[in-house]
Amino acid sequence: MTTSELVFDPFSEDFFNGPWEIYRRLRDEAPVYHNDEHDFYALSRHEDVAAAYKDFETYSSAYGLDLAQVRSDAPLDAKMIILMDPPEHRQMRSLVNKVFTPRAIEAMKPMVTEAIDRYIAKANPKRFDVVGDFSAFFPVEVITQMLGVPEEYRQQVREWVDTSLHREPGQIETSEEGMQAIGESMAFYYNLIQERRAEPQDDMFSRLIAAEIERDDGERTRLDDFEIAGFAALLGGAGAETVTKLVGNAAVTFARFPDQWQKLLDDRSKIPAAVEELLRYEPPVHYNVRRSMREVNLHGVTIPEGKPVFLLGGSAHRDPEAFTDADTFDIDRDRTEAQNLGFGYGVHSCLGAALARMESAIALDRLLDFMPRYEVLWDDCKRVAMQNVAGWSHVPVHVLR
Amino acid sequence: MTQKIEVDFGLCESNGVCMGIIPEVFDLDDEDYLHVLQDEVTPENEEQVKEAVRQCPRQAISIRDE
Repeated sequence: MTTSELVFDPFSEDFFNGPWEIYRRLRDEAPVYHNDEHDFYALSRHEDVAAAYKDFETYSSAYGLDLAQVRSDAPLDAKMIILMDPPEHRQMRSLVNKVFTPRAIEAMKPMVTEAIDRYIAKANPKRFDVVGDFSAFFPVEVITQMLGVPEEYRQQVREWVDTSLHREPGQIETSEEGMQAIGESMAFYYNLIQERRAEPQDDMFSRLIAAEIERDDGERTRLDDFEIAGFAALLGGAGAETVTKLVGNAAVTFARFPDQWQKLLDDRSKIPAAVEELLRYEPPVHYNVRRSMREVNLHGVTIPEGKPVFLLGGSAHRDPEAFTDADTFDIDRDRTEAQNLGFGYGVHSCLGAALARMESAIALDRLLDFMPRYEVLWDDCKRVAMQNVAGWSHVPVHVLR
Repeated sequence: MTQKIEVDFGLCESNGVCMGIIPEVFDLDDEDYLHVLQDEVTPENEEQVKEAVRQCPRQAISIRDE
């Protein structure tokens, strides 16, 4: 028997096409994997990934959120909570977290429902692209509306984010087009912040302009333009990409497990459980990258200080040590067996989790109405090739009568 | 030795997962503030309190020995 060399490359075609077999081998053969070519490490077992998420002192976020940033060890060119460690992270996150509590999000249900229904109303049952006609559009509408982006620019925000996260196979650094998109979006946010400074409105931009924060030296100051634009870029990006992917993954996954779709048709109260299982089985975010702040010894491997470490939540979710029949998609599964890492875990756990859950649940409910029986046009499906998020850009379906 | 429940209110973001697991111990009020109704870990609540500690997405709950 020959075994092929184990290579985990998050910028390869193999990875974009579904990394489950690579994950299995990582968990079995190299739970602390080292990539020789790019000199990064990866944790893949549930126990290790969950522990690393909790240990922000060992695994820092302050050096970047992707391989290119963390390995460069250069100062970051953005000011975002996803790129901060405590205590600064705590101060900044506290400025926005009240907006995203489950209760606060519940109050936005009519707005979210309206955004979703607008796109379902236009859907053509003969050929409906679940991502390209639907889930690509409404999440960015919702988050940019919360931020205060005027309606005519909301889809532009999504296009900027798409461009900046896109990766050709083998491409680790942001492309020239990506850098240009980031530049354009930051300039756009700067201008918008100036408008809100002159004339505040009932939106997050205006609230961030008015907010004060306690700095490291104890002084309380306002946020500068750069910090507010950082919030906007982060929330816009996170809000635009993730639910888009989850809903596309849902259409594909339920087509492969039609008995599970039938369960939802029979009992809509299972929708929230289905969202959780989708997050486990096909998460939009497969990994986060951290930087080791000290030497780590684990499973006989030494991770030196200062290395990029991939925390592979996507692999942890398929770890048979954590979940019974981990490779089976089962919306009725016992969710207390192990922590779902789809929204991360610990200080950086997803700020928008309640919003994502609500958007996804409403979208699933509407899809159950619109396409109770459907077939996926597999030949026309297309995956995204992006960093940090995984899923499909096109999932065309045909609604069956 | 008794064990006490501690919440880091700087971390808590009112997700309410703990309340869902054991409402006798954790309660979110109308203003979205979390209250620990009973801060002692007892043989009766121990299992559920530990589950709440584990499932808190923010890892804001801990158990302290006194």
